[in-house]
Amino acid sequence: MSFKSAVITFPGSNCDRDALCYLKDLTKGEVHNIWHEETSLPKVDLVILPGGFSFGDYLRSGAMASKSKIIDEVVKHANDNRYLLGICNGFQILTEIGLLEGALIRNKKLKFLGKNCFIKKKFKNNFNLSIKDNQILQIPVAHNEGNFYCDSETLNLLKNNEQIAFEYCKGEFSNTEENINGSLEAIAGITNKKKNVLGMMPHPERAYSDFHQSQDGRLIIESLIS
Amino acid sequence: MNEELILQHGLTLDEFQVIRKYLNRDLSIEELGIFSAMWNEHCCYKTSKKWLKKLPTNNEIVIQGPGENAGVIDLQDNDGIAFKIESHNHPSYIEPFNGSATGVGGILRDIFTMGARPIATLDSIRFGLIETEKTKYLLNGVVHGIGHYGNCIGIPNIGGECEFESTYDFNNLVNAMAVGHVQKDKIFYSKPKSIGGLIVYIGSKTGKDGIHGASMASDVFSEEDEDEKRPSVQVGDPFMEKLLMEGCLELMSSGLIESMQDMGAAGITSSSVEMASKGNVGVYINLDKVPLRQPLSAYEILLSESQERMLAVIDKKNNHKVREILQKWQIDYEVIGEITDTKRVVFESNNKKVVDLPVEIIVNDAPEYDREFYIPRKRKNKDFDFSKIKLEDMIINLLTNLNYLDKSWVFDQYDSTVMGDTIREPGQSSGIVKIHGTQKVIGASTDCNPLYIRINPYEGMKYTVAESYRNLIACNINPLAITNNLNFASPLDPNIMGELVLSIHGLKTAAIKFNTPIVSGNVSLYNQTNEIPIKPTPVVGMVGSNMNLNKINTNKFCEIGNKILILGKQLSKNCSPYLLQDQKIALNICEFNDLEILDLDFEKKIANCVLELSDLKCIMSCNDISRGGIFSSLLKMQYRDLGFKVKISDPIDLFCEYSAGYVIEIRSKDLEEVTSFLTKKGAEYVEIGEIIKEGIEINSKKFDYFDIMNKYRNNFEKIIS
Repeated sequence: MSFKSAVITFPGSNCDRDALCYLKDLTKGEVHNIWHEETSLPKVDLVILPGGFSFGDYLRSGAMASKSKIIDEVVKHANDNRYLLGICNGFQILTEIGLLEGALIRNKKLKFLGKNCFIKKKFKNNFNLSIKDNQILQIPVAHNEGNFYCDSETLNLLKNNEQIAFEYCKGEFSNTEENINGSLEAIAGITNKKKNVLGMMPHPERAYSDFHQSQDGRLIIESLIS
Repeated sequence: MNEELILQHGLTLDEFQVIRKYLNRDLSIEELGIFSAMWNEHCCYKTSKKWLKKLPTNNEIVIQGPGENAGVIDLQDNDGIAFKIESHNHPSYIEPFNGSATGVGGILRDIFTMGARPIATLDSIRFGLIETEKTKYLLNGVVHGIGHYGNCIGIPNIGGECEFESTYDFNNLVNAMAVGHVQKDKIFYSKPKSIGGLIVYIGSKTGKDGIHGASMASDVFSEEDEDEKRPSVQVGDPFMEKLLMEGCLELMSSGLIESMQDMGAAGITSSSVEMASKGNVGVYINLDKVPLRQPLSAYEILLSESQERMLAVIDKKNNHKVREILQKWQIDYEVIGEITDTKRVVFESNNKKVVDLPVEIIVNDAPEYDREFYIPRKRKNKDFDFSKIKLEDMIINLLTNLNYLDKSWVFDQYDSTVMGDTIREPGQSSGIVKIHGTQKVIGASTDCNPLYIRINPYEGMKYTVAESYRNLIACNINPLAITNNLNFASPLDPNIMGELVLSIHGLKTAAIKFNTPIVSGNVSLYNQTNEIPIKPTPVVGMVGSNMNLNKINTNKFCEIGNKILILGKQLSKNCSPYLLQDQKIALNICEFNDLEILDLDFEKKIANCVLELSDLKCIMSCNDISRGGIFSSLLKMQYRDLGFKVKISDPIDLFCEYSAGYVIEIRSKDLEEVTSFLTKKGAEYVEIGEIIKEGIEINSKKFDYFDIMNKYRNNFEKIIS
């Protein structure tokens, strides 16, 4: 059966087209683009909340998007045990909705960070099945607020429930710091308790095509399809 | 009208008399405001027009040359590329964050006004010495502003330059360039099509920001002006621009719009006059209909430079559909007037005509000056003493000079991979993006050699164009066309005017030789503060293409054991200006020898060799040689754990500048094929060394690889913090 997916576009989303291409090229299945004011969502296997600056990131990153009309449907989709992936601004929106724990605060150096970063998987889930333990993935980041933070109680829960999906690490020849944005325990991506919702700051949709600097972003979709 | 008021509006009394005589009546204050906006340097090029006319602006691939919002070139099939560079120098000095942000916003609007989707931006930024306390503030603000706007709207930033030099201490430069992709059959122009078409206002509401911005941009500065002029700097909202861009592109692709004009410098005045002039028609606008953020007088509405606004002409029957699309994007929209057959610009406010002027007088009668200029004196040639210069010191010098260090601190604040089509990110010889959904790539580079141009404006400009050309060639990108941004000090000084005239002449010579016409551009004069003029800084933005993305060269070393070859001709030590300046051998501008004459045919010959060898897949990596010589080029090529060892009779030569200079990496097995190819073509080359693991060796002397690379990568941030 073919894999169906959808990407939600908010005003100010700017990685929606990239996410659509990523899904079209890798899933070979039906891909829908859904405007934030829609009130219904087709029955799909995966929904992506893309990166960008939804509603200008005014108020707080992702805060206004989390109140969009489509969000009720997105929550239903997740409660139905189907996959939901928030990338960058999408991750911020997921924390604002409350589907994921914690918050994303300003990067440690208080500057936007647009560069290649390196991550590896921490705990196994359906989004990273095809990734080997200790395999280092090269995937770009581009964010101002990517510094993951939560209280110590939540952190313990995240660990005990094995909800940490990815953590930043050092690349083999790279000059980059191990923890590029100052995230708590270098967390780059987490899931919900049921592990069907993933939020991550790096952009896998910018690292999959032959002409991209890395193709490691494919592994996430491959994990879901396999 | 009193003289003081006229002068305050930046017009000379002579200019005012021309208007007065033509109209044979007194002007309203609103009309004076219009002339102030339209007859300043920024809008009418009154000083440079005579010389700009001499530039080559056309060839078989040019679809649109200068005169529209952006130039457009043909990229085969139905693909066109729109691009332009524009300065936002003065605003960025007064308010670095908003000044630079709105510079990016303005140039992006120029691109999507043509119906093109922006696919890349580049920025050429120049600051004073870092020791000047203000420089850090300006650098931080400008880089933050550029990043803030471009990242939010989601257009990848793929390169540019960032240099430091004392004459920019109180007059930093911010030139923003944007490149867009347009379908050739869907290009939009500012010319309206029919009489009776509705003029519609799209975008942000009008406020007080930026009133008189265009005339401020054409003014000489003193330091005290800074606080006073800050309210003239526009404030940008990239989120609004993103909505505006999507809304406008949707309107255009749905065929609902006849023509479009962005409200940039001089706001609604400039865009409506432009429309009327292009279409040889008249415009009627009711200012009471303009969406306002706060109560404004007619005069203020006319001159406001509030950002993220567009003026479009639509057919009456499409009014409803246009409204629907713009509502979806939450964009303000109002019908404010119509196209008339009067050939007059009429603005009404409170049922009163506040402006009623023939288009002709505003546009055609705009002043054009033939200012006096001096040609620089011929320089004597002398030999400098290099005996005290040590290789170790030169390396240390290079690793402590911001101009040579890795500038990731700047580029990492920009999103360079959004849109998913980026192939070469900033910091390499040229930025490269793919045309979405095709195998075609576009490369772009911005360059300027102000020191060369001060020494010899004509030859120096040839070197500047050649540097952009080499930057593209090194990646196996065919150079196609140029946009330029002429930043100079006051043209009222005949020496400065001479630099302007001669560098335009040099630009012309090189552009003709390389067959890279100038399709768009911008002039920024009066760049001087406290009577210190900036070095002449005519920035070139060159765009090129390759139809096959798999043929692009990397600028980074590939493999241990590969040979390093140098192509081109080294400039003598005595005629390598940056070497002399940076080693403090020549300190005063008078001390420099004249530039060696740049042989453009030789440039082309070597460039063609690089292109051919690249197509034969013989080049593993390639970089051009510019400021900092071979050594600096090799550092830029360093990758992963790779280093280099080289042999050279005089190590100082490693720091000399070049004509047609390239470093190329060749596999040993291809060496014979490559060298016999080069010999056959009569192209000079030197086999200088090879790629090694984790090492830097010069004439068998080993340097600390990790120390050098660490300093090269991290010193920039250390110095500016």
